[in-house]
Amino acid sequence: MESSGRKVKVVVAMPGLDCHDRGVIYLSHVLREAGMEVVYLGKFNTPEHIVNTAIEEDADVIALSYLNDHLYMIFFPMVVELLKEKGCGDICVMAGGRIIEEDRPKLRELGITGFFGQSAPTEEMVQHIEETVRKERWKEA
Amino acid sequence: MAGNDKIKSDRRFDACSVTETSSGIPVKEVYGPEDLEGIDYNNDIANPGKYPFTRGIWNNMYRGKLWTRRVFTGLGSTADTNERYKYLLGKGASGLYCFGDTITHQGIDPDHPLARGYAGVSGVSIVCLQDMYDLFDGISLEDVSVSFNNPSMAAAIVYSAFAAYAEDMGYDLTKISGSILNEPIHLVYSMYETNAKPLNLAAKLATDVIEYSIKNTPRWHPIAPNAYDMHEKGANAVQEMAFTIAIMEEYIQRMINRGHDIDEFAPRVNVFGCACDIDFFEEICKFRAARRVWAKLMKEKYGAKKSASCRLYLSVHTSGNSLTVQQPVNNVARVTLESLACVLGGLQSFDPAGYDEGYYILTEHSALTSLNIHNILAYESRVASVADPLAGSYFIESLTNKMEEEMSKVIKKIDDMGGAIKATESGWIGSEMEHELIKEQKEIEEKKRIIVGMNEFVVSKEEEVPIEVGRDRPLEEQMATSKKREDEIKKMRETRDKKKAKNALDNLREEAGKGEGHNLVPLMMESLRAKATLGEILGVIREANGASYDPYKVLEYSL
Repeated sequence: MESSGRKVKVVVAMPGLDCHDRGVIYLSHVLREAGMEVVYLGKFNTPEHIVNTAIEEDADVIALSYLNDHLYMIFFPMVVELLKEKGCGDICVMAGGRIIEEDRPKLRELGITGFFGQSAPTEEMVQHIEETVRKERWKEA
Repeated sequence: MAGNDKIKSDRRFDACSVTETSSGIPVKEVYGPEDLEGIDYNNDIANPGKYPFTRGIWNNMYRGKLWTRRVFTGLGSTADTNERYKYLLGKGASGLYCFGDTITHQGIDPDHPLARGYAGVSGVSIVCLQDMYDLFDGISLEDVSVSFNNPSMAAAIVYSAFAAYAEDMGYDLTKISGSILNEPIHLVYSMYETNAKPLNLAAKLATDVIEYSIKNTPRWHPIAPNAYDMHEKGANAVQEMAFTIAIMEEYIQRMINRGHDIDEFAPRVNVFGCACDIDFFEEICKFRAARRVWAKLMKEKYGAKKSASCRLYLSVHTSGNSLTVQQPVNNVARVTLESLACVLGGLQSFDPAGYDEGYYILTEHSALTSLNIHNILAYESRVASVADPLAGSYFIESLTNKMEEEMSKVIKKIDDMGGAIKATESGWIGSEMEHELIKEQKEIEEKKRIIVGMNEFVVSKEEEVPIEVGRDRPLEEQMATSKKREDEIKKMRETRDKKKAKNALDNLREEAGKGEGHNLVPLMMESLRAKATLGEILGVIREANGASYDPYKVLEYSL
């Protein structure tokens, strides 16, 4: 998918110390196959590193994944806050993994989208990214 | 009269479309005597308890002793875990299982800045000697075996703490049994690579544990390589075993280089922690083939003379990846099938996964269900009565042969690359696994692999029968648990005899710089007795070997 003469660029990352990275490995493969550019950070990242990478790379999307425990409720909001602080709030933040239902409204309020579970079809993720980037970041009609 | 408004089965003429095993070995529609051509019963199969142990490592298998019936445990504080141990022992468990928390695996202490929120989460935090006192309070270590799932360099400290505890409690060390995972190489491509590097140092520490243990805790299994995680990260059944065997050769070679005779240590480094996935016959044949490959390797390559050196003990955690978050009760069927494969495959121990593994650490109820899968197989079903009941089946023997052949090819390939560490550092093993992982996920998405309730036979959320599953503790509670643990460790650091701790760590540091021939376990035990922590002990060893004190380069040595 291309617009404004370039591919959608996605930073794929897991914050914190979660090691369940099967999903992000496969997702990165799928996104590349779908014609997107992937900056793969994998596991064990601080929110700062994720945000700085996204800004340096001028990424359209940060795709976050987390499964191990509940700390995503700290890391995910931190990513959004840091982006805003650095004036890059237009980078789309998406989340997947094991994000429990009760936490989603709060994350949605922060502008995070997606919430794809352990067995969600990747086709839906590709479509979600394409649509969101067109609408939110590229401001296409 | 047939009408368009009536419901018809659209699957009436469905046929099985499977033409290969999960790892891609073609399977025919039917097998016959021609598939056994060239097999020599006495040399290739032999009776159970006889080399090459294809049919199992004991002549009467489960009539002699049932498999060890464990259930995944490791939660919250050491006291919580101790409570669960007592509960499970009261319900028929015959072994204990200890899963470290995230930061224990990482080899960092609960008061490390990156550890915030993680102590006691999805496992139990083991940091210091006192933790062993709390974990095993009121439990007799001479009468129950303990299996520690600590894979990284931290395993050397966990073992040292366990050994120091057992010694200080006055236990007869020759009666202590169990195992520790203690294999860091596989971590590079499966979990916590940060605490597996430098790889040579990590392998050295693991070898120290092996060397110390065969002499001092002779019934203990000081290494139980983690085939499981490699499988869960993509390795197919053939690769899972081949990679593990190749990795074990690194340790065998190190022990030989240290001057040990193969028969002195091989009988203690022959336990694999494997996965058992849903491909029933392939998994059974995987176990049978691996035993044969191992036995031949020990005898033919390393010249082992003792029968005990050629026996491969297999233990399993049934595959978490094979389970679904949808309709979790279906997982009981999957886990039962996988557990049956473990029994028919002649395993020494396994733990059936909880049906709610996709959610969180097992609830008391799901743990009890897992334990009862053991009990039903062991005491109710009669499946354990005959050793290797599938032997002689045209299909089973043929597939066992084929898997042995494929495993041997992969092992040879790694050998040609210069061994598992080289094949890891070059990225070859990792990329093979990634390739398989992507292939498998694609097949799931394309419905070439059917997973009931997930990509086929899906029901809506409303149709699902509610069932209790493990739930995360709320964030506040998780943070509070971790904070409590952090404070405990900080307090211990402040109140301990600092000079004593520093002296012990100084001695350890000095010895750690001397290289391969200097076993660090005794000084790690001394450091633990002087109340040094996991992070500190690993830190000084790392520094003495030219690495940073903190694997994450945040902290510096401060004693």
